Formats: sequence, structure tokens, C-alpha cells
Amino acid sequence: MSTENKYWRGVEELQEDPEFLKNAQNEFPEQVPVDEFLADSKLSETSTSRRDFLKFLGFSTAAATLAACETPVTKAIPYVVKPEEVTPGVANYYASTFSDGNDYASILVKTREGRPIHIEGNKLSAVTGGGVNANVNSSVLSLYDSTRIQSPFKAGVASTWDTVDSEIINKLEGIASRGGNIRILTNSIISPSTKAVIAKFASKYSSGATNSDELDVAQNTANTANVQHVTYDAVSNAGIINANLADFGKAVLPIYDFTKAQTIVSIGADFLSTWLSSIEYSGQYASRRDPDGEWMSKHYQFEANMSMTGTNADVRGAIKPSEFGKVALHLYNAVAVQVGGANVSVGDVDNDNGVVEKIAAAAADLVANKGNGLVICGSNDKATQSVINAINTMLGNYGGAVNIDTSSNLKQSNDSDAYGLVNEMTAGQVDALIIWGLNPSYSMPADWGFDEALSKVDLSVSFTGRPDETAQNCGYICPDNHYLESWNDAFPRAGEYSLAQPVISNLFDTRQSAASLMQWAGLGSDYNQFIKDYWEENIFPSSGEMLFGSFWNKVLQDGVYSAKAEVAVTPSADGETEAPTAVGSYIGDVIAASAEIGEISGGAWEMTIYSKTGIGDGQQLRNPWLHETPDPVTKVVWDNYICMNPLDMKELGFNTSIQQQRPADVATVTANGQTITLPVVAVPGQKRKTISIALGYGQEGVAVDGVQIGQNAYPLTSFSNGTISYNAYDVSIVGTGDTYPLACTQTHHTMMGRKMVNETDLNSYKTKGRDVWNPKGEILDAYGKAQPFDELNLWNDHGIKTGHRWGMSIDLNTCTGCSACVTACYSENNVPVVGRDEVRRNREMNWMRIDRYYSSDADPLSHSRDKGDRDYDAMEIPAEYPTRVVHQPVMCQHCNHAPCETVCPVAATTHSDEGLNQMAYNRCIGTRYCMNNCPYKVRRFNWFNYNADSKFADISIAQDDLGRMVLNPDVVVRARGVMEKCSMCVQRVQAGKLDAKKKGKPIVDGEVKTACASACPTNAITFGDHNDTGSEVRKTTESERAYHLLEDVGTQPNVWYLTKVKNSDEMRHVAAEPAHHHDTEEDGHGHDHEEKTEEHS
Amino acid sequence: MSNIRAYRATSNWLCSILFLAFLSLNFNTVSAQDLEAGQKLFKQNCATCHRIDDKMSTGPGLAGIEERVPSKEWLYQWIKNNNALRESGDAYANKIFNDNKKSVMTQFQFLSNEDIDNILFYVKNPPPPPPGEEQVVETEVKEENPLLWLLILLVVFAIVVNVLIGVKRSLKNLLLEREGKDALPDVSHWEAFKDWVSNNQTKVVVICLILIMVGSKNGFHYLKDNVGVYEGYAPEQPIAFSHKIHAGQNGIDCVYCHHSAEKGKTSAIPSVNVCMNCHSSISEGKTTGEAEIAKIYEAAGYNPESREYDKPEKAIKWVKIHNLPDFVYFNHSQHVVVGEQECQTCHGEVQEFGYPMHQENDLTMGWCVDCHRETGVAMEGNEYYDKMHAELKEKYAAEGKTTFTVEDIGGLECAKCHY
Repeated sequence: MSTENKYWRGVEELQEDPEFLKNAQNEFPEQVPVDEFLADSKLSETSTSRRDFLKFLGFSTAAATLAACETPVTKAIPYVVKPEEVTPGVANYYASTFSDGNDYASILVKTREGRPIHIEGNKLSAVTGGGVNANVNSSVLSLYDSTRIQSPFKAGVASTWDTVDSEIINKLEGIASRGGNIRILTNSIISPSTKAVIAKFASKYSSGATNSDELDVAQNTANTANVQHVTYDAVSNAGIINANLADFGKAVLPIYDFTKAQTIVSIGADFLSTWLSSIEYSGQYASRRDPDGEWMSKHYQFEANMSMTGTNADVRGAIKPSEFGKVALHLYNAVAVQVGGANVSVGDVDNDNGVVEKIAAAAADLVANKGNGLVICGSNDKATQSVINAINTMLGNYGGAVNIDTSSNLKQSNDSDAYGLVNEMTAGQVDALIIWGLNPSYSMPADWGFDEALSKVDLSVSFTGRPDETAQNCGYICPDNHYLESWNDAFPRAGEYSLAQPVISNLFDTRQSAASLMQWAGLGSDYNQFIKDYWEENIFPSSGEMLFGSFWNKVLQDGVYSAKAEVAVTPSADGETEAPTAVGSYIGDVIAASAEIGEISGGAWEMTIYSKTGIGDGQQLRNPWLHETPDPVTKVVWDNYICMNPLDMKELGFNTSIQQQRPADVATVTANGQTITLPVVAVPGQKRKTISIALGYGQEGVAVDGVQIGQNAYPLTSFSNGTISYNAYDVSIVGTGDTYPLACTQTHHTMMGRKMVNETDLNSYKTKGRDVWNPKGEILDAYGKAQPFDELNLWNDHGIKTGHRWGMSIDLNTCTGCSACVTACYSENNVPVVGRDEVRRNREMNWMRIDRYYSSDADPLSHSRDKGDRDYDAMEIPAEYPTRVVHQPVMCQHCNHAPCETVCPVAATTHSDEGLNQMAYNRCIGTRYCMNNCPYKVRRFNWFNYNADSKFADISIAQDDLGRMVLNPDVVVRARGVMEKCSMCVQRVQAGKLDAKKKGKPIVDGEVKTACASACPTNAITFGDHNDTGSEVRKTTESERAYHLLEDVGTQPNVWYLTKVKNSDEMRHVAAEPAHHHDTEEDGHGHDHEEKTEEHS
Repeated sequence: MSNIRAYRATSNWLCSILFLAFLSLNFNTVSAQDLEAGQKLFKQNCATCHRIDDKMSTGPGLAGIEERVPSKEWLYQWIKNNNALRESGDAYANKIFNDNKKSVMTQFQFLSNEDIDNILFYVKNPPPPPPGEEQVVETEVKEENPLLWLLILLVVFAIVVNVLIGVKRSLKNLLLEREGKDALPDVSHWEAFKDWVSNNQTKVVVICLILIMVGSKNGFHYLKDNVGVYEGYAPEQPIAFSHKIHAGQNGIDCVYCHHSAEKGKTSAIPSVNVCMNCHSSISEGKTTGEAEIAKIYEAAGYNPESREYDKPEKAIKWVKIHNLPDFVYFNHSQHVVVGEQECQTCHGEVQEFGYPMHQENDLTMGWCVDCHRETGVAMEGNEYYDKMHAELKEKYAAEGKTTFTVEDIGGLECAKCHY
């Protein structure tokens, strides 16, 4: 019987793949690329002899020496008239709002000399509470995208605003006068002012001119007889809205509050990553994952693909997409039995990983926490959502964790309206179409035939800011500003408002789309004033403030405004006015829903199409930071791919282990009459006989080195029962025989099988001492006396006891793996982007990586390195459905006895008395000894001059005149041949200290935060002065959960990790040292029994 | 003797001229007092807004003022209380007021009529333009070209060597002739040198080695000390700005213009609008006249005639003098505000530097570190340091150390400046 959990980084490690093992022993999987060092690849092709080379070398040395003697002339150009608020070298922060129809966040934009360079969360926001995600904080780079559309276009030719405006107004007036149909197709707009603009535009061009006065513009009713506003999201949640309309008579999106949910059951909802208001939910969810809190939530996840949310679940069941509805019905029945409801008939679900028992356990927990539970579902199917509504109603969860009285405005898609619009267009009934925030040619199901429909529209206008598939077929392109160049407001949910303000003037000849509509509606183009007027009229009166001017300035400075009283007018999904009413009684029909669900049957293979962290629906596909940030689960970068269970892959003969020399196999998937060809990636935990493909990739013209980034999965979606379905129930998959060199960071930087993640269960945590679940390690000193790791020293201590000692703690319990910290680090520290090819060579540069470990119970002889003793087959079984997955962010641990420091021959890396491991780039000569000696593998080497080498011209932000503007001027852009690594944001530490010194006050805890800690939506990362006894970081590190990564190495890091505590069945514990083995083995036996009995209870 | 006589004659002449000059000065004594008092009063009260010539400043130029105005009595009233005069409905007073964009003139009720007379006398008798010697602020020190001297020396040396070789040869031939041997064959110097080299190969090798070693040592030291070190760098600037005039003669505080030195990492070259704070009324300097100040006006888009900013703005492209490498983070406010260092500590006695401004120190890391080793940190009175100070005093209790240098608090650590 096994003694402990075995963690592995991927299937390759588990299977002891020969190449993996070989690479694991080598820090540098490749030989030093001498050829590439010469930068010019043509050099090796020429007949340059050694003599010539030496001559060149001699010349260049002489040239360099000569050049060095001349003083470089640097110009310094001051402002002519300096803006009052700008001081050169001092950052300004402006509150603004990110809202792209998918994610919403109230943000703070850091600007330097008028250039936005970094985005952080706004702590004042009652919705996102200072959290951001990778999509939000990367968006600052999209501003400087030089492929943005730079002027208005008419029929594919650059034009001017005057021409475009007058022609469009002429045509619109012509259409209106003859009663023609004008349609505005947008994604979810949460700006009340924008909706008012659309309404005014609609009234201006409405055909019944006499009726236009009667239009109630205040009600934001944009729909007149001939002018209609259709809302459609590329990733739609119309199923929930439709179900709520049917079940409660309200077409709204509920507000979910995870702080009130003691039991969370999610069926395919990736609510920590991309589902609805995921930033908000992450913060709420994490606040209830504290094992020392009042209570800790228990999270059940049922899903087909291994989502990021699934990796965080306490109990996870893998189910087929066709079973989403069935699982909901099974849950309904299990709950109904206990609360006295009637059962409905439902077919069986595939029980290959104990799903039936898990549903029963979930139902028992839900009933036990009646009124304090939450059931959600990511399916866009109305019938399934209706069952979910019924369960939540039965459990009395409305008014608790789910609230339908006040609604969320984040998603307003009406898929059937959009379908109706495309049909209307095809029938030639639409005369003018304005497309805003959408790329329907790319994102609508293929069988809708949008391109053909568009060709039948007289006047087509696209508001896109980026060249896209739709815009090239539109008569006019009126490019929108980037949101950081725009005024806007937002109304994410009832009572919560926020404002967006421009932080830079327009980079190109673009115009805000709302201003374009205003121009065409004859309202001028001052959208800023329009917003002000709207607020003065509609929002200011309820504020109780005396003067609008001061009210406005305060809201603009804060970025957010919470209405004291509930505002009467609540613009909802379809623009209709909804007055808040009491909790509606459930009027849905579960029987009918179950009949509808019963009709769904799966084929041999099924598929889910999901949106993944960062890329989302694909609006920021041109953003290199998002591509270089590994997927939280698969750790693949720069591509989308087919996720498949490794066992299925073996059956189909696909390569389950992606290595540099072993590219992924490519397969063609056919679904809904469409095909897509992509590489296949092994994902343990993926439901057998299902595959998953991420949306957002494969846009025309978005390529690196001439290779398009990924393939478009949108055409594979289908329209059924009034909503877009992101599931396909009968797909076929055939290997093409080709291979594709995917880049994956998964198997890099191994910890060589040592204890890295410490994990326990809630019961053990509460009832047993830390010796069981987080034993303090000891080591024998020279006299045979046991000493704690932290106290046995080979070297003298640094002076970290006086002054500051910067420390960090990372709570593995609340880290969800969302990677907002990774992108924040890219932005803050000028980390170079290296691209797919270099990542394949293990040369990624991200200072912060998030290790993802799968765990399993089967590892018979984990301590034996002798291959002959191993039972590989037994190890293979848990790879099918790993019960636990852990995310562990790892950056430089800033060891007080750092192995890297002692081996540097030039003292380029040294220790500071504040506990920081310092890296002086200008001193480094690139021996890479430090990299080799680092037990955490966190040092990164600049193999190339990423900011000048032509190989990286496509992706390097520093090689683009515009992209360069996003660089942080306080941090060096590193050159080729030097080592770099996490500096613990020393520039922020220094700035914080300077600020305190200037004020003459001690540093207040929380004033200095690293970029990663600041970005974290769950506050998993705590940073501060460890010598400050009152600091948060000191408190967390004194917790019994705290431990150091690989503490037995004796490095004494300044980074602590907090043991992960899962609210699940008791698990066996990793022994600290072999001496404890025997005890834990016995524990193991006992717990294994308990685990089984619990599962069956 | 005749020379001496001539000298005496000249000195006599000079004496009589000086005497005459003295007499003429004596004649003017009364007026001179008026002139002095007038000048003093003018500078105290009028010069802020009025120029002594006919050019416009904040107010109109005063040259020919007495001829313009209706009467001297009117002028007394106007200067003492122009407001009352305007309100009395005086046509000329109101015309003047309207002509000058209705900018209100300060009232000078404390001036007596006599004072005003003195001022007017000063205006009528303006001082002569400043003496020519101040025209050139800095006499350009033309560095002698050392290479030229070297070349000359080399030529002289070659001639001497040639002559010596010739002499040696002649002597040797003489000797040979006396001994009855044949004279030396007539070979060129080059051939002779080649012969010498082939006969003395060891010597040649040793000499070459020594040359190479000495050369490379010197070369290495030269590179080590000089690459990237630009001490004394004084590039030409688009405007001949003199710190001596502004910070020295006029005593303007450094941070009046370089105000961000107290706030951020750069001390920043002041923006043109800061220059215009003063130069909107100072359009002419003593040394360069209007030429240099006109460049400010051009940059600011300022029209000195209409006194309006009606032209396009143009950026001034200064040449940066103090260039730290990109891998160094230096923050002015740390040193100026927290460290309470004088600007002169690093930049030298800038108030005495004329145009062009130069880099006083070498700005090398050794130079920075030296200062960090020696400079004490003013911990008293700054609460930020309280805890640290107590801890440090405890740590160094054995040595009885109570004051600490920048080095003691980690000021020599890499990541204090390199990140």
C-alpha cells in the first residue's frame, strides 16, 4: 500500500518518460546555441573562415573601442508648457474601468509622463474589490498595438472622419426617410450613457418621425419600429437569462455571492476564470477558503474538461457535455428526496469516476446547508439552467448566495434576436447594420452564414479598433478608441456604477464609438459632456450631494460610486425597464425541462468549447503577454489545442508527452458539419471520450513568424433552443498523421520528486497537530544533534534582523492559478516575451511561474529511484482522473543562504540586509552557474537580445516604437547574456521607502506591495516587512500552515508558503523525512478506509 | 634720452586730460545725485514693469515720457494715484489705461514730487550701455593641440637623429680612412636598420615585448578610467544659458527651476513656461542682449511685440550633460530631500559656471560609493529611522557607535541603485 501522495508535473514525469528523465537531470536541456549567438543565421551559411571571423572580431573590438571614446549626445527635451499634474519621474494613478463585454473591473491606471504603463485593481470597488485578472492587466499593452486601425476606412481605403460622417449620415437619413431598417449589433454594453446614446440615435432615425418625440429616451428603449439594438456576445450566457424569464418572469442575470455559499456546486461553470464576473467571484470564493475562518466552503465541480475552477474544487466529477442536464436532474432528485419534492425521470450518467456518489454527497451537503448553498451551471442551455433554478429554489438559496431581485448587467446577449437579425439580413430586409464590439464573421456559428447575410446589407459600418474578419467586409470602418483613450461609465449591477476616463490622448485618428453615434444622431461628439449630463440627470439626484461638480469630481477620482438607495430605473438585458420586485416564485416547469434534457444523447465522442483564462473570447489575441502566460491547467503557450484524456490518446495512438523533440500529434475534429485541425494535448481529468477546444484563437492576420496563432473554434458552435450551444454531442476525431511543435512549460523546472506542495484536509487540520500535516523538518548537525532546518547554518547570517526584512507569503489555499500575477509581473518588470519556439527550448523568461501539480494515491515505491521496482501500470490509473490538483506560484525565494550567491564568480548576485537576493545585471557575465545552482529553478537567462534581435521582431514589445511605451522606466531592459530573476519588485520597495522617508513616517504595512501581490484577486500573495511584528506577512508566516519550499536544502528563504487545506476527504500526508514513514504508512491505511466509507455515505 | 622725454610729454598730456575730466565731473555733481537717487527709486519701484527705453514691458517704456503726457502735474497725479485720476474722467488717463489692456498700475502715494523728478531725470539720462568687457562671459580657453607639438618634436628628433647618424658615419669613414680601409658602402637608412635588426634579433624581440606590455598596460588603464566617463563634458546648447547669471548673480534658488529634484528621480530641465515666469518681462540680457532670450520666446510661441502667446510652440532640444547609464537608478529627491545634500555636492559650484554648463564630477560608481561611505544619515527627527536607529545603536553598542553612514544602512548594496 502506498505511503504518501505522489505529485507529478505531467504525464511525462509520471511515466518516467526517458526523455523527461534525461532532461530532468540537465538544467539546460539543450546545448549552448553557438550558431544562434552569432545572431545572423546567414553567417553559418557563408564561407567565413576562422581567420575572417577573427578579423571581424578584431575590427569590431576596435570599432567598439573607438566608439566608446566619443561622448554620446543625448537630447533632453522638456515640456514647453508642463501640465501641472505631471512631474517627470513621478507616476500618476487614474481610476478607470475595464469592460470589454466579458470581464468587468474597476482599475487604477499607472501613468508615467502621460503614458499608461501598468494596471492594478481599484480597492474602492464594491464589485471587484481591487482584483484584476490576466485579461485586464494585460490590456495596457493592447493600447500600444501598432496593428490597430489608425483612421476611418471607406470601402477598404483610408478616409477622413468628415467624409465618412457625411456619407453615413446621408445614407442613414435616406434609409430612415423610406422607412428602411437600421440595426445596431453590439456585445453586452454596461454603460448607461452609451445606451442612452443608442436610444437617441434610434429616435433620430426612427421612421415615424412624428412618434420620435414620444419615445421615452430616459427608459433607454432603443428599439423603435425600424431601428433596433441587438445584443449578442461571442461567449453568450443567454441560457441563464432565458431560463430566468421563463421561471421567474425576469430576463435577468442573477447576482451571485460566494461569500454566502457554504456549499458550492458548479456544473461546468468556470467561475474562477471566465464565467460571468469571475474577478469578483474569485475574491468572494477565496474569502471563504480560510480554514481558520468561521466556516470553509465546500466546492463540488462537475465538468468535462479540466477547468481552472475544477482544479480548485474539493470534489470534482468528470462528466460528458451531454450529461450536464442529467447531472443537474440527478442533483434535483437527490435534493428533492430530502426536502420532500417530487422526482423527475432522468437517464443514468456514466459513473466511471464515482459521479453518482459525488452527486449524492453534494446533495447531502446542499440540504444540510439549506439556504446557504449555491448551485450554478456553465451550460448555455435554457432547460438545464431551469433545473438549476429549481434546485436553488427548492433549497431556498434565493436571497442568500443567489439574488435575482437585483440583477447583474454584465451579460445581456440575446442569441435568438441575433439569429433573427442574421435571417433578416439574409432576406435583404436590413438596410443598415452597425457592428460594435463584435466580430460576427469570426464568432458566429458557421451555419448562420453571416458573411453572406452581410453582403446583402446596403450600409454596413464596423466600429472595430482592430482589423478583423467582419470589418474587411464592411463598407465603412469607424475605428473605436482603445478604452484607455475613452470616456465611459459602467453599471455592472444594480446600485454600482463606475467611470472610465482617458489616460492618454488618442494615439491614432480614431474616435470613440459612442461619439460616432452621437455625431450621426446630431448630438455633437462630446461624449464626456453627454455622460456628465446623463449622470447629473439620472444618478446625481439619488446621491444626496449638494453640488454636481464636486460629486462628479469625487466619483471620477474614486472611479466608482455606490448608489445609496436602489435606483428605480434598471436597464436590463433587452433594454426593458425592470422595477425590483420581491423574490419571484418559481413558475418554471422541471418536467418539461427534463423532457428536453432527455432528448440530448451523446455520440462516441463529445466536445466542449470553452473560453480560457487570459484569451477569453479572443479580443486580445494580439497581446503577446497573454500568449506567453501559460494556460493554468495545460501550461501550453501560444496555441489552442484539443484537450484529451491521456488514456484516450493512448488508444488513438497520440503522443501524450510533448517534448522539444517530440511534437504533438495533430487531429481533425468534425462537429456540426465543421472541421478543425489542431494538435492534441493530454489533460488528466478530462472526461474519457470527450475533447475540449478553447475559443478566441485563429483570427485572420494574427500570426507569429507567418504561422497563425491557433484555430478558430467558433464555427463549431451551434444554435439550438434559442441559445448558442458550446457543446457538441456527436463529434468525430481522426489523427492526420502530422505533428505540430507545441510549446509547453509543463515539464520544465522539475523539483526532482521532492516535497514541494504541502497539502492536508480540513478535518486533519482542525483535529490533528501540525506534526501530522506540516511537520517541522530537522537535520542532524556535525555532533549528531537534531537541529531545525532554519537554525543549522553553514554561513554567517546576513544583517536581516535590523531595518526591514522583506518577506512574502503565498497561501496555496486561495491561489486559484488564475495567472493575473504572471501578467502583472510582465508589465511591471519589463520581462521579455520570447515566443513559441523559444519556450519549446525551455527558455521562457517569466519571473513568476505557477507550477501545477496533479496528485494521485498510487505510487507504490516513491522513494525508489530504481526503475525495476516500479509498477507503471498502477501509476497510470490515477492519471485518468486526478483527485487533487494544486497551483503553486514560484518566483525567486530570496534565500537568506542563497546557493546562487556563493557560486557567482563576479559577485553579480548578492544579498541585501533587507533580505533581498539582488541581481546586478551590469555586473553579470553570464556564466549561468547561479541558474545551475538554484534549487527552485527561478533564474532566467537572456539567450538573445530580445529587444533588438530580428528573430523576435514580431513579438517583442521593445522592438516596436509604440510597444516600447509600455515599458516601466524604473526597471532596466536587460541585454543578451545576463541572468535575471524576480527582484521582489525592488523598485517598488525602494519607492515605498523613499516615500516614507520623505514623509518622515515609518512604512505602514500594505503601502509597499509587489506587482503580483497587488494583482492577486484572492489576496493569496502577502508582501511586507517581516521585521514589522504587526505586519500581515509576519502574521501569516507565524501560522502553523507556513513552510518553506524545499526547506531541507537549508536555503532559509524569505518566501513562505501556507499549507493547502482542502475541504474534502482525509488524505494521506507527505512525511517530512524517512524516519516518519512508518507512522504515516499506518495513517495511510486508516485514512484510505475512511475515505472509501465517506465517499459512499 | 629722447625716449624718456617723449614719455614725460605723454604723461603731462594725460594729467591735463584727467584734470579736465575731474573738472567736468565736478560741474555735474548736483545732477549726479539726482541721477543716483532716481536710479535707485526707478529700480525699486518702476523697473518691474517699465523699461527705461521705449520698449514695451508689462507697462510701456518710459523714454520720452515727459513729452508724451499732458503735463508734469498730470504725471505726478498719475504716478501717485492713477486710479483716482482715471475715475475723475481724465481722458488721457483712460486712454493710457485702455491702450495697455486695462492692466492696473500700482499706486505710489509715498513718492514725493521730488522723488518723481529724480526718476524722470534718471529716465532722461539713461546710463550708458554696459562696458564691453562683460560682453564675453567666459573667455574661451582654446586648448593647444598636443598632437601638433608632438609632430614638431618628432620632426626635430628625426633631423637630429639623421644628423647624428651622418656625423657618426663621417667620423667612422675618417677613422677607416686613417686606418687605410675602404669607406663604408653608401646604404640607405632603411637598409642599415634592416641590417641592424637581423643582427640583433634578441634585442628587437625584447624591445617589442616591452613596448607591447607598456602599451597594453597604459591602454587598459586608459580604457578603465575613461570609457563612459565624461567629466568636464560641456556640450554646446541650443540656448547659451548661464547658471552664473541666474543662480549666481541673481541668486535664484536651484529648485525654483529644477523643482522636480525635490519630488522625483530627475531634477528635470525646466519647461519653457518656467523660463517665461521671469522672461515675460526680461527680454534683454547684459551679455547676449536679446538674441538668446528671443530663443525662449520662439520656443514658447511668445510674441514680445503683442505680448501674447500667438505663435506655435517649439520644443527646446537641450543636450543632456549628466548621463548616467540606463542600469543605474538615481533619485534626486532621495538625495536632496531625505539626504539633505546641496546640489553643489555633486554638480559643483554651478552658480559660478557660465555657458556652457559642464559636468563637474566623473559620476563613476567609485565616486558614488566614496560619498556613501563617508556621509552620515540624519536619523534624528525622521520617524522613519527611529526603529532602525535604535536597532543599529544596539547592534553597535560595543563600539559605542551612535551615528551611521549610508553604508551602515545598506547604501552600498547593489539593488539600491541597480534594478
